[in-house]
Amino acid sequence: MLSTVLEQVVNGIVTGSVYAIVAVGMTMIFGVLRAINFAHGEYYMLGTFGAWFAIDYLGLSYEASIVVGVLATIVVAYVVGQLVMRRMVGAPAESGVLATLGIALILQNTVIFVFGGGYKFFSGGYIEPISIFGFSLAQQRILILVVCLVVFVGLELMVTYSRLGMAMRAVSQNVECCEVVGIDVPQVVLRTFILGAALAALSGVLTAPVNVSVYGGMGELITFKTLPIIIMGGLGNVRGTFFAAMILGIAESLVATYVGLQFRDTVGFATLILVLMWRPHGLFSTQARF
Amino acid sequence: MSLTETVPQARRRDLRIPLAVVLIVVALGAPYMGSRYVTHSLIIALIFMLPAHGLNLLVGYTGLLSLAQAAFFGIGAYTAGLLAVTYGTPFYVNLIAAALVSGAAALPLGIPALRLRSTSFVMCTLGFVIIGQAIAKNWVSVTRGDMGLSSIPKPYFELGPLSFTVSGTTNFYYLALAVGVLATLAVWAIVRSPAGRNMVAIRENETLAESLGVPTWHYKLIVFMISAMFAGVGGCLYAHYLTVVSPLTFQMYYSTTMLIIVLGGGAGMISGTVFGSLLFVGLTEALRVAPEVRMIAYGACLLVLVFWFKQGFAPLINRFWNAIGGVK
Repeated sequence: MLSTVLEQVVNGIVTGSVYAIVAVGMTMIFGVLRAINFAHGEYYMLGTFGAWFAIDYLGLSYEASIVVGVLATIVVAYVVGQLVMRRMVGAPAESGVLATLGIALILQNTVIFVFGGGYKFFSGGYIEPISIFGFSLAQQRILILVVCLVVFVGLELMVTYSRLGMAMRAVSQNVECCEVVGIDVPQVVLRTFILGAALAALSGVLTAPVNVSVYGGMGELITFKTLPIIIMGGLGNVRGTFFAAMILGIAESLVATYVGLQFRDTVGFATLILVLMWRPHGLFSTQARF
Repeated sequence: MSLTETVPQARRRDLRIPLAVVLIVVALGAPYMGSRYVTHSLIIALIFMLPAHGLNLLVGYTGLLSLAQAAFFGIGAYTAGLLAVTYGTPFYVNLIAAALVSGAAALPLGIPALRLRSTSFVMCTLGFVIIGQAIAKNWVSVTRGDMGLSSIPKPYFELGPLSFTVSGTTNFYYLALAVGVLATLAVWAIVRSPAGRNMVAIRENETLAESLGVPTWHYKLIVFMISAMFAGVGGCLYAHYLTVVSPLTFQMYYSTTMLIIVLGGGAGMISGTVFGSLLFVGLTEALRVAPEVRMIAYGACLLVLVFWFKQGFAPLINRFWNAIGGVK
């Protein structure tokens, strides 16, 4: 009994890591742009499709497919960033919502149009289980956990010490002052956006071997799960996002086991609505950031 | 030319009434002018016009961007479908029930949601669609889960001893047209009333409206409920026309379609919504555009509307209307 609970918690943490890597990009984009990126899950989908294409059509190894998937997403994100995201600086919240919804529709349906809407089999990855402390865990899941930790430590360092990180924090505090002191705000927005999209793609490629199936509509589901996480974590709060993702991952896996698998995907939005009602600034931030 | 002489102005006739007559004739005669597929497209456009009218009241007049329309559309479709399948009630009963149930559902959802602003409100309303779909899928004893409701009977009317069934595309077109015209008139009445002006005041400046004594909270809640009722009526027509309702009635795609209609046609304009539903739903349906291509086009439309074409077709419609009316 206890071991099943523990196993579910461990599974939840792995799922949470996946969400965390996607969500942190979205929350950083919100930080600099004050807009929710409703298309964020689509970059997760693009990364997965890029890797699937590399393995199935180009015959590359899984390691190489990770690079292909992330690079392909970066190229798409660069184009979208140049054409759309830069224009969203200083635009009202509604136009951000509508523009990113539009991008989500375009990306998702272009992929479905090109590759078909059916489920595809993702064949790469390290799926051999190994046992640690009596648990058997697929290697891929351990890889996800490790990558998640590396990403978060790296982001924490980057946001604190690097030039881009400092510029990001500055933009998220006051756009006008940034312009006064000569920070190129659209450039910071573009870079943050590409970084976020690349992280989402990385998360997608890493999860693909665990999920096995790849399909055009998968990004939408991830967007819907990421929204509650970034709200729970406090918009723009990197550390809070990490913990919120873990909470949602564990909650989902427990609900899937003890309440019913079909309710797993609603946990997120039920939490979202509850958090918006009681703590609209998130569980971890002390004050509202927007 | 002496100064006393005025330049003879080109006399421009007011063509608005003739145009209105032509439009009415076209609307009434449409099933006999085009193919059956055209009639079908017009019916779909009329069905989507109803939730779009509701959304226009929210987005265009009160300034609340909501994605929840698909949820109320689904609730209306399920209400009408369940009534018709289980009790075989006449159409007008289903229609009123769908409107009331959707409107009633909007009350408990609107009270928490309307406390939120801008993006948070959008996310919350998006949540309603997702949760609605989950309920439709999992409350199997009522909704029959993923199977959905099928073979919903044709709408029929019962007036005392008389009763007749609306069957066939042409007849359904007239039913949808009648409902659509009534709904458009209802929106017109709301917008033209003092309440409509208060809604616009809330859109323009909520704090100022509040300080002038407009009970903004009640207005927003009531408009949210009215817009849900319009969506419910649309859902009722949808259920009767397609004769099938599945949990996929609750989907983001429908909310996006309704947004495209309102914003593309021109938010805050009744003729814009009518025009938008014919253009974006009717035309794409009639051209038999594949769903993926249609959604790509919708996405592109959203981007164009947001950045370059903020008012949609509203200025064009206005200019056309003034031009044929001889107004400079």
